Amino acid sequence: MHTAAVDAEHEYVYEDDFDGNSFDDTSAEKYTDMAAGKKRNSIMSQESEFEIDDQLYSDDDGTDAYNDYTLVEPLSTVSARELNQGTVPNLKYECLTAQSIFEKMVERVNHLKLIFNICTEDLLSLMQHFDWNEERLLESWTDKMDDLLVEIGLKNASETVSGTQIDASNGTETARTLNFRNNFSCMICCEEKTTNTFSLECGHEYCIDCYRHYVNDKLNSGNIISCIGCSLALKNDDIDKITGSPSSKKLMMSSIKSFVQKHNKNYRWCPFTDCNYIIHLKDTSSLDEYARLHYSPFVKCSDSHRFCFSCAFEIHAPADCNVTALWVNKSRKESANLNWVLSNTKECPKCSVNIEKDGGCNHMVCSGCKYEFCWICERDWTPHGKSFYQCTLYKSDDDKKNAKTSLEVAAKTLKKYTFYYKMFNAQEESAKLDWTLGQAVGAKVRLLQEKMGVSWIEGQFLAESVRTLYEGRTALKWSFAVAYYSDASHNLTKIFVDNQSLLSAAVEDLSELLEIKEPAKIMDRKTDFYNKAGYVENRTSALIECGRDLLCKGICKPV
Amino acid sequence: MASLPKRIIKETERLITDPVPGITAEPHDDNLRYFEVTVEGPVGSPYENGIFQLELYLPDDYPMEAPKVRFLTKIYHPNIDRLGRICLDVLKTNWSPALQIRTVLLSIQALLASPNPNDPLANDVAEDWIKDEEAAKQTAKKWSKLYATPKQ
Ligand SMILES: [Zn+2]
Ligand SMILES: [Zn+2]
Ligand SMILES: [Zn+2]
Ligand SMILES: [Zn+2]
Ligand SMILES: [Zn+2]
Ligand SMILES: [Zn+2]
Repeated sequence: MHTAAVDAEHEYVYEDDFDGNSFDDTSAEKYTDMAAGKKRNSIMSQESEFEIDDQLYSDDDGTDAYNDYTLVEPLSTVSARELNQGTVPNLKYECLTAQSIFEKMVERVNHLKLIFNICTEDLLSLMQHFDWNEERLLESWTDKMDDLLVEIGLKNASETVSGTQIDASNGTETARTLNFRNNFSCMICCEEKTTNTFSLECGHEYCIDCYRHYVNDKLNSGNIISCIGCSLALKNDDIDKITGSPSSKKLMMSSIKSFVQKHNKNYRWCPFTDCNYIIHLKDTSSLDEYARLHYSPFVKCSDSHRFCFSCAFEIHAPADCNVTALWVNKSRKESANLNWVLSNTKECPKCSVNIEKDGGCNHMVCSGCKYEFCWICERDWTPHGKSFYQCTLYKSDDDKKNAKTSLEVAAKTLKKYTFYYKMFNAQEESAKLDWTLGQAVGAKVRLLQEKMGVSWIEGQFLAESVRTLYEGRTALKWSFAVAYYSDASHNLTKIFVDNQSLLSAAVEDLSELLEIKEPAKIMDRKTDFYNKAGYVENRTSALIECGRDLLCKGICKPV
Repeated sequence: MASLPKRIIKETERLITDPVPGITAEPHDDNLRYFEVTVEGPVGSPYENGIFQLELYLPDDYPMEAPKVRFLTKIYHPNIDRLGRICLDVLKTNWSPALQIRTVLLSIQALLASPNPNDPLANDVAEDWIKDEEAAKQTAKKWSKLYATPKQ
């Protein structure tokens, strides 16, 4: 097993210098601190024996997303800090569900009913046919009302009834109900049996088994379902009768879903797994302009999932959508190359014993032969000495500075990228661990509060702190993508790195508070939580603003 | 193999006892859902005198799902691609369980009589067709003679 000296600095400085833009010692230490947070958290998480309650901190009130609608987020609940964090200012949006969109459509239909003088069901079908686009419906309607009804199947072509009143009872007596028949011969299955059947006014009658199968197959299409034998439309009532359950709802939902898909400029599904919320942005006209200023339209669903409306990634400030896309794309491409870096075991270069790396430190001592070597270059540790600048690989690269072959350049680029990728990953891991721990601690605190009879609001400081911590870590994480694409020699980049370190320290500080496992002690530290969380918020905003500055000034130039 | 649905048995019987003029469809001995099909080129079309081989397969969900049909004989047609796949509404969105094997085969025959280059599957052929219909028809005729002439 691995035992390593605690020369943690080595790791971060080593790699960073590859494109010749060395950090000074202080910035190296800062990055080291940032990485340290991860270690502490992973230890904590092992010790944690609490159960994790994912729901605890979400705004979910437990209602089913499907039955829960018009959850409009008023602008006032968007706090000043959210507006600060790289979000398009004054972004107005609402959080909906397929169900709530459908309810709105029904509302529209009830309104239109006065103009059209036809029943709700037929109007719903008309709207469905026109992708829920009222204007298109109105245009076509004034032109050729009767043709339209025939085309959609709301009216039989042979029907010569003029006027707009469509009445289901116009058809034959047995139409649109289930009929019980002796020795019925079904054209579809060719069976002769005593069975229930169904038919519309057209008289195309089939056994209920065939009809049910037919309808069930089409419920997910979102399109109007017609008679098996002709183009006459089945109404929602008919569908429910045929299937013996409220299946038409499923059809309406799938129709709304395709509506959302077709209008993806204004509607977007929350990208979080199993989340059914839809964000509706009415006015997207300002987005392009704000994108030029490197603001992103970050939104939040009613389940408190925050994501970018433009690229559907998580909140990625200080990176903009462009940096995010490039970074994610790069990490996908490089992932094969990076496996060696991220893998935590390696064979000892001397005796081939498997060594596991369980910390950030790169000074390795083999448990088998006691060989001391460098994790990164796999060479003898001795020349590295106390100074991490001595990593031989680094030196040899440095020597060849003037003879850059494309292979060398590629190797350098990869190493630079590896560094940022590791930092990015470390923050992602830490964010997850903090969150998990936060939920666990939160659950304990809540229990205590219940015992003490303290109000729920009283304990909100912890939930808010955990969220702030998560957001701080997320910003820190994405800041490494920005740093990767930035000109390291520029003064503003140095300020950016300073900001990273400050946020990193702030985040570790807050994260440390969570280590207090005594719920009573946590309650006592309420003021500390508030203060430290407040500081993290400020540092997060500052880092994001600084990153946006880098982008606006072209110092961060993603290629 | 699961027993054959009555619907398929009935359709097969009728295809044999009351065949559609110009079309033959015979089920395979080991798989009664698989049909060997021939379609005669419609009179007056560039495919006249040609006999085209097709395969037709009835999926498990037939008749809820459309039959799968493909040309085996090479054919120059804007709605049929190099792999013999056919662009025909009744085989896709306009399929209804009320349609049958014979209606599908009749539709294919009708497609030979009136190609629709505006809804193409074989884009290059459709382009030729729109650019110079006469020349395209000549090519179709040539291909028919070359690939769809029954061996004596
Ligand atoms: Zn039936
Ligand atoms: Zn009908
Ligand atoms: Zn969500
Ligand atoms: Zn984005
Ligand atoms: Zn060894
Ligand atoms: Zn080294």
